[in-house]
Amino acid sequence: MSIDTFVYRNTSPPPDAAGTPLSGKRFSVQPNMSVRDWPTGAGSLALEGYVAVENATVVGRLQMAGAYIVGSTRMSEFGLGICDDSSARAVVDGHADIALITDTMGEARMAAALTGLCGFKPSYGIVSRLGLIGLVPSMECFGMVARHPADITAVLGAVVGPDENDFSMVVDGIPDPGAEKGDGDLRGSFGVVPEILELLGKEEIKIFRENLKWLEMNGWKVHEVSIPDFALFPVIHNVIGSVEASSSGGKYDGVRYGYRAQGTKNWNEMYLKTRDEAFGFLVKTYFMQGAYFQFENYQAFENACRIRARLLRETQRLFEEVDMLVLPTRRHGFPADTARSVKETYEAFSFTVLSNITGQPAIHLSNPRGGKPFEPGVQLVCPHCADFRLLSVAEQLYACWKGGY
Amino acid sequence: MGYEAVIGLEIHLELNCMTKMFCNCPNLPGDEPNLNTCPICLWFPGAIPQFSHETLEKAVITSLALNCEIQKESAFDQKVYYYPDLPKGFQLSQAHRPLARHGWLDIIGMDGRTRRLRIRHVHMEEDVAKLVHETEGRTPISLVDFNRAGVPLVEIVTEPDMRSPHDAMEFIRALRMQIRYAGSADCSMEAGTMRVDANISIRPEASEVMNTKVEVKNMNSIRHLGDAIAYEMQRQEACVRNGEAIVLHTRLWDPDRRMTTPMRGKFEGPCVPDPSVPAIRLSEEWISEMKSRLPEMPGEKVERFINQYGLSRDEAVMMSSERDLSEYFESVVKENIAPRLASHWVATQLLPLIRERQQNIAESPVTPARLAALLSMLAGEEINTSSAKIVLTQLFERKDSPEAIVQMSGFSQVSDKDELDRLVDRVMADNPSAVEDFRNGQAKALGFLIGRAMQASQGKANPKMIREILTKKLG
Ligand SMILES: [Zn+2]
Repeated sequence: MSIDTFVYRNTSPPPDAAGTPLSGKRFSVQPNMSVRDWPTGAGSLALEGYVAVENATVVGRLQMAGAYIVGSTRMSEFGLGICDDSSARAVVDGHADIALITDTMGEARMAAALTGLCGFKPSYGIVSRLGLIGLVPSMECFGMVARHPADITAVLGAVVGPDENDFSMVVDGIPDPGAEKGDGDLRGSFGVVPEILELLGKEEIKIFRENLKWLEMNGWKVHEVSIPDFALFPVIHNVIGSVEASSSGGKYDGVRYGYRAQGTKNWNEMYLKTRDEAFGFLVKTYFMQGAYFQFENYQAFENACRIRARLLRETQRLFEEVDMLVLPTRRHGFPADTARSVKETYEAFSFTVLSNITGQPAIHLSNPRGGKPFEPGVQLVCPHCADFRLLSVAEQLYACWKGGY
Repeated sequence: MGYEAVIGLEIHLELNCMTKMFCNCPNLPGDEPNLNTCPICLWFPGAIPQFSHETLEKAVITSLALNCEIQKESAFDQKVYYYPDLPKGFQLSQAHRPLARHGWLDIIGMDGRTRRLRIRHVHMEEDVAKLVHETEGRTPISLVDFNRAGVPLVEIVTEPDMRSPHDAMEFIRALRMQIRYAGSADCSMEAGTMRVDANISIRPEASEVMNTKVEVKNMNSIRHLGDAIAYEMQRQEACVRNGEAIVLHTRLWDPDRRMTTPMRGKFEGPCVPDPSVPAIRLSEEWISEMKSRLPEMPGEKVERFINQYGLSRDEAVMMSSERDLSEYFESVVKENIAPRLASHWVATQLLPLIRERQQNIAESPVTPARLAALLSMLAGEEINTSSAKIVLTQLFERKDSPEAIVQMSGFSQVSDKDELDRLVDRVMADNPSAVEDFRNGQAKALGFLIGRAMQASQGKANPKMIREILTKKLG
């Protein structure tokens, strides 16, 4: 089992890190998160044999905080989707306390939802992306999967903060772990987006409503708030994500590193054959879609950027009415762990792409009592940079759940 | 029917920054291949570009020197194409939101009148790697040198306001002068730090139509630029007269055959906004600070030299043609040397000697203070002009002060009245026919006698006094 879960195992012993914030905590990473001298193939033939030359900022900070990185897990090519992903498995099987997972469209939340764990995606720009090898720079981040939100709070506390080498981070407002945690009674209001109901089956709606009722019983207020174009989130993610991926993937040409096809006569042939052989079906389709928008339908891409800005404004406005949004995480009949095409992947991630598009933090909480086949899960989304408040609410909800449902 | 050309230029300038544009590698593309590279400029997976502040400053200074309006918001785009000189499948450039717009430069047209040529925009762009094609045994191989990849450039795009090779060459000269003043780029076409592409179309004279243009590249001097444009105008005119259509394409200037030849069409990819390099927002205060850093530019300096120092326009233009030269001139003047004397000596004596020695005026051994000391002796009639010229030459070779050289070489001017009286008597006695000629009304003969007297004194006699004494004695 562990052979399947890990593609690389750390051979050095755990550090003696008594007294550090993450002392004794075991982490798994993915092979697209740079750990110096570790094979860093990003789940792709394109980076076969590639070894990281420096640590990702996040990896360095985890080690500074006393964490032990046990190894890297199997992953989908460049972290797109979770159909070949074993990061949550590393936690379920007890090999790691926290799994880091690339979150491009909701992978951390989805992997958690499928395994009864807790999955978190931080605000865009508050955790350095340096050393993360992904495809969609404006939406991807280090996601985290753990059994309990308190573990995630500790991890985020260790890795959050400016990195002078990542110029894409936010300049103002990066949350401070100490100051933002929030104490006392955090109960406030949740917003439910009725447009999501169109994407759920009868049984799922019933269970989702039961979850909302439970929230109300525990003192949270639940309001309906509307995002009329909710159905556009996956579409916009697909257009912009594929365009960014097509550009990001341009560096895998076999010239400087990674896989290079043999037996070609000139560099044009080398490019074509290398790229033809290097990528799997999902990523290749995604690149082709992106190239289509770049070369053939730029207007559609520009429209998508405009719509993205509008969806962001509309979502931000909802937070004037409610403290957080509550959404389902997954859809019955659209399994993420077997989604192998772009279409299947976006169908599976319909509820999670929102926060990757808006850059807002989101967490999936698995109902400890859960495991019903139609359980859509509970996903909370809150305003940008309110990550520690979100985690505090999650911890409080977990405490209520433990107290009985 | 006559034709006129419609010419627009696209100029790439390599900014003289210390580092590359998105990483800390030294901006030294000529070093040993692939020496100046790092995970960022080789675009290793996981690397994030770090936009250099120095690039921004120098690009803004450059734009200001070209009278552009700096845009408060600009952003980088990805120019997408696949080529081994490009380490990531796209080039970071500013296609949609350039750094600066609406600039201009004045030139003197062929008719002698000032013309204002407009600049459409200035944007930042990274340079690409250099490809070297070789053979290994009998197999052709291509090597890539990434030292140049990520070197900071600005691209200046003009409006199609030029009508002749003269206009284009004058524009480039004016541009070079402005930028060298600003100090942000070296602007050498020969060294490749300035690359000029010309878009050329022709149309019947006095018409307003815009016809299909042809792009011409690969000119590595201002003269080649003029020649290439002239050739292309003739070529297009011949096409039109023969009823052939002009098609949009790119041609290369061949300096040996002195003609342009068609180039294989290069793929033009799309430009999409880059998600990794943050957009650039500039505050009014920061832009003003950059403006205040811009030195006095040649246009203003000419006017000031005329007003403050009483130079003629030609002298003032000459003394402000380069920033180093203008600063040298002013340093000499500050040593209490008459400005026109300083300007005259710098232009006619010092500069030719510096050029002969392939030196740079700022680093010349003849410092402003040394030239001023020499000119001060000349103005005080301690030495005469011909001695001063000899001393000036010696200042290049010797570390001694001009005063010491004058003393050691015995150049001190003889202004002793009795000594000069005796000298004049001797010259008159030796040249009776010239004396005779003068007395018969041939004024020329005076010059001859002065020359003889100077010669006899080995150049040391005070020529003014010789003339006075001679005139008196002859009269
Ligand atoms: Zn570099």
